[in-house]
Amino acid sequence: MALLEVENLRAGYGSVPVLHGVDLAVEEGSNAVLLGLNGAGKSTTLMTLAGLLPVTGGEIRYDGEVLKGPPGARVRAGIVLVPEGRHVFPALTVKQNLRLGAWTIRRDARRLRGNLREVYAIFPRLEERADQLAGTLSGGEQQMLAIGRGMMSSPRLLLIDEASLGLSPKLTEQVFAAVKLINQRGTTVLMVEQNAGVLAQADTAFVMQQGRITVSGSGADTLGDEAVKAAYFGT
Amino acid sequence: MGAFFALGIFQGAVYGLLAVGIVLVYKAKRVFNFAQGEFGGVAAFAAFYLVVNLGLPYWTGILGGLAAAVAMGLAVERVIVRPLESASRTIMLVALVGVALFTIAIIVLLGQPVPRVMPPLVEGSGVNILGAGILPQQLILLAVLAVLAAAMAWFFKTDLGLAVLASSQDTRAAQVVGISPVAISRLVWGMAALLGGIAGLLYAPVGIFTPGFMTLTMLVPAFAAAVLGGMTSLPGAFVGGIAIGVVQNLGIYLLGQQLKVPGAAELGVFALLMLVLLIRPQGLLGKEA
Repeated sequence: MALLEVENLRAGYGSVPVLHGVDLAVEEGSNAVLLGLNGAGKSTTLMTLAGLLPVTGGEIRYDGEVLKGPPGARVRAGIVLVPEGRHVFPALTVKQNLRLGAWTIRRDARRLRGNLREVYAIFPRLEERADQLAGTLSGGEQQMLAIGRGMMSSPRLLLIDEASLGLSPKLTEQVFAAVKLINQRGTTVLMVEQNAGVLAQADTAFVMQQGRITVSGSGADTLGDEAVKAAYFGT
Repeated sequence: MGAFFALGIFQGAVYGLLAVGIVLVYKAKRVFNFAQGEFGGVAAFAAFYLVVNLGLPYWTGILGGLAAAVAMGLAVERVIVRPLESASRTIMLVALVGVALFTIAIIVLLGQPVPRVMPPLVEGSGVNILGAGILPQQLILLAVLAVLAAAMAWFFKTDLGLAVLASSQDTRAAQVVGISPVAISRLVWGMAALLGGIAGLLYAPVGIFTPGFMTLTMLVPAFAAAVLGGMTSLPGAFVGGIAIGVVQNLGIYLLGQQLKVPGAAELGVFALLMLVLLIRPQGLLGKEA
């Protein structure tokens, strides 16, 4: 049984439907990628999974049970979103941002310290900048902070929305490598990307078009798939 | 002149106490809370009703007054603030002015616009400080201001305080880490109302009080105090409150009594405020967040 199973999911913004029946499954421990163009519904899918948008049809099952409840309950259940556009707390320090990432486990000081060490090990740059205001970091550093903050509550399933957005190819590579490392250490990852370069490290890939999954398969297969090219170039 | 200085410090403590609540709401919501004074008004009238009208012990007045203020704070949050969350800050500000005026009207309707005298927390004659007679109640007020300003500054270093700041900086990001914006909003307004209630309960016994006594005479100097201190600084609210009180009273003494200038207290306050904002637009102790 997969850790995350999405069946015929429908959701959207107010009365505007965006997802028209999404089906996907993410195995525990895997690194899954959801590809597609702007407006395909990728972010909507992740936000619905994180509880920021209501489900209007279909079902999300997580760890065998139907997923519901407010965003906070989902974080406690182990589903954490790293939102598109980083969304760090600009006027708080890097360390305070990370501390708030551990909001749901704030009473467990030992686990918090352990997670902080782990985040600093993956992103040494964050430790160097611990006392700097997050708003003064570069785009790449803010992305690292957003992912690090997501790691602070020891998630089981990390949802990463367009981590490569606005980053140089070199920084994108670094961020993808960090995500790979996080996945190898045991966190299940579902990444939303426009950058198909991420397929090289994906176990599973889904291609989304107009609110539906049109292709799914292993990362390597999908890389050469004509349908993926079609999704991107509209042929 | 020393007496005016001393009077100013203790008068300023009331402004500071209101300013601490104003700063709290501003840090958390970027809203100018014009209802802050009436949290104190409601607390004072509720306490007066319990202690003087019903003859209950003083502590029931304190608890009842604070409970009334917090209930009002939570009601304002639910009925006014939350529905206007995405409205412009100007609309929110006008709505909060409306809350203050509405509350004063209700108090007038229920209790008649007559002056009242609330017994002090501690009986006893005044002590002489620099030639001014200062009541024990006023000493308590200053001490409570110092404690609350420090406590609130500490609060913003805790996880919960950071969560309040985080929610004001990026609501979406706060939700993403599992913070409930609604819970934070309730907490902030409950705390602001508690602070306002404490200000009202401590200040009412200093003189006679009438409906609207906090809003009509205390709120504008309290806002001046908050702005002077930097709007986001809690030590700033303390320092700003006392500075406004002192300048007001020195204005009364120097301009009013010596030079016979009408409106001397207000003149002094606004002159100081303009001067500080010209030289240090961020206020005396202002920083980001």
